[in-house]
Amino acid sequence: MTLLLARGVARRFGRQEALQPTDLEVGQAETLALVGPNGAGKSTLLALLAGALEPTAGTVERRHGVRVGWVPQRPAHYARLSPRENLELFARLEGEPRPVEAAARLLGTFELPRDGQASGSLSVGNRQRLNLAIALLGDPQVLLLDEPTASLDPGQRRRLWERVDALREAGGAVVFATQNVDELERHADRVVALRDGRVVFDGTVSDYEREPLADLFA
Amino acid sequence: MSAWLLLRKDLRVLRRSPLLVVVLLAYPLLVAGLVGLVAGYATSKPRVALVVEDELPRTFVLGGHHFHVDRTIARVSRAVKLVRLSSGEAERELRTGKVVAVVTVPRGFVADLRGMVRSPRLVLETTHGGLSPRVTQQVQALVYSLNHELQAAYIESNLRYVQLILHGGDGSFLGRKFQILGLDGTEQELRHLPSGPRLDAIRQFVRDARLALAQTDDALRATANPIQLVHAPEHGRTWALSAQVQAYALALTISFLTLVLAAGAVAAERDENVIGRLVRGLVGLGELVSAKIMLAALVSLGVGLAIALAFGVVIQVGGVTGGEPWSRLPLLCVGLALAGASLGALGTLLGALAREPRTASLVSLLVVLPIVFLGLVPREVVPVAGYLSDALPFAHSVRFFGAALYDASPWGVVAREGTWLVGLAAAFAAAARVGARRLLA
Repeated sequence: MTLLLARGVARRFGRQEALQPTDLEVGQAETLALVGPNGAGKSTLLALLAGALEPTAGTVERRHGVRVGWVPQRPAHYARLSPRENLELFARLEGEPRPVEAAARLLGTFELPRDGQASGSLSVGNRQRLNLAIALLGDPQVLLLDEPTASLDPGQRRRLWERVDALREAGGAVVFATQNVDELERHADRVVALRDGRVVFDGTVSDYEREPLADLFA
Repeated sequence: MSAWLLLRKDLRVLRRSPLLVVVLLAYPLLVAGLVGLVAGYATSKPRVALVVEDELPRTFVLGGHHFHVDRTIARVSRAVKLVRLSSGEAERELRTGKVVAVVTVPRGFVADLRGMVRSPRLVLETTHGGLSPRVTQQVQALVYSLNHELQAAYIESNLRYVQLILHGGDGSFLGRKFQILGLDGTEQELRHLPSGPRLDAIRQFVRDARLALAQTDDALRATANPIQLVHAPEHGRTWALSAQVQAYALALTISFLTLVLAAGAVAAERDENVIGRLVRGLVGLGELVSAKIMLAALVSLGVGLAIALAFGVVIQVGGVTGGEPWSRLPLLCVGLALAGASLGALGTLLGALAREPRTASLVSLLVVLPIVFLGLVPREVVPVAGYLSDALPFAHSVRFFGAALYDASPWGVVAREGTWLVGLAAAFAAAARVGARRLLA
């Protein structure tokens, strides 16, 4: 069952074509890895799928009632608010029925400071944890992760992938951009490779590894 | 709902940025003070050269009045600073702009003055440009004051001639002495003549003439001053507490504050990389724009109210009369909110176009200065400035605040300016909504 469907979706930034018209279907219980060199269009495609960017062409359709969580590459939260305040604010915006409890639960899960410290003064790793925690508000069925483990310690990486695997087993879907071949092999069951804003490969991990492109991207 | 959540977040962020709040408050107050100084300079005395080509005595007598020349000049030249220069120096300084005008006392001036037959003339030369009309007015005021002083002497002199005609005696005119019989003497002489219809007619004329001339004193003074301006002894407000200054101070502070704040706040959403999260169905761009406009309106209301209260307390403590600072506060609050919303919408538009907070702050500061100065230029002096100012919120805010605080019947002005502010807020908000798409790029 398709949860997310991109039809001819494209995006320009001024004269630069960040993503050429692209079709992509994300199904239930699927973990899709987006790979490609820097500037290939991975982040743009994820932002378009998340609805954070408006496409200059094409459409992104979301199965009715499906909630999408998005973890952008650069942490997206208010620097002058504490992690708890950020989580409560986004919980309310997400329409969480119990925003205070939801925020407290995620603070615990991601081991974030509860002392009211401004998020802007957190370590890089903690900011990325907060970034992830905000994306999980509202219990999304689809997670879009843009290089999510870049600043996480091994323990946090493990917990993140446990969460991803649990979401897939529960019938959700995960799309993640990565440069890490190990993550791709261990967690993805499908790979989409991008280069210069267009899809150059779409298939299974084993097929991808047989492609000469894999050497280039790796 | 989402807009309220963002508004609460912005207020919390603002509360945690005390330095920003201090700068945002202190800067416009500083600018308001500087504008006040400039306004004060605008009313300062321009430097005018006095070139005396005639032989001006230290003192002279006119109609029995003794005039000390330097003291008289000092007394009548309150609006300008007169500096005595030679003709050449005056011409040079006029060319270089060190003096804004030259008043020349030509040869024969004193003789004409003493003769009281022909009006003595002063010659005025001014620079070209914006100050010229004002200097001309001030020199006209100087000549008016001088005429006023001389007029009394002329009237006394003329009345002395009238007294001579009435009562007879010794007199002089243009240096020639003479003796006159007068109407009193004429009447006495007529009594010694035999009666007759022709003599009766002459007697009747003498009586009528005496009666008429007896009224000359007041009539002559009234003719000289058809309208007399009497300066009332009551003291008005000082310049610093005038209604206009209060209205300008409020509008200026709010303009700087809300424009910079709204522009910075909307650009900060992109800078913190949160805009993408928000627009994924959590907060629409319209709601984002509304939140920033509400923030500007609330801050405008809070800061404006604090300034108005401070003015009110000073007025109350100082026992200054005029205006009703307390009873008009609710009406002022409406104006503060509308002005804040209108300026906030413009600031949001600038922030959305600038996209980056530092650029947004700089752009809004660069934009607010011409907005304020356009509103300060009198429409009568530069009509184009008036039309441009109509399309911006500052001048409407000033007029709203002035009317709300001090007009006896403010409703007409308040309704008109309020409508302008609402219209401008809607127009800028719509533009900001369109411009906000740039934040996603």
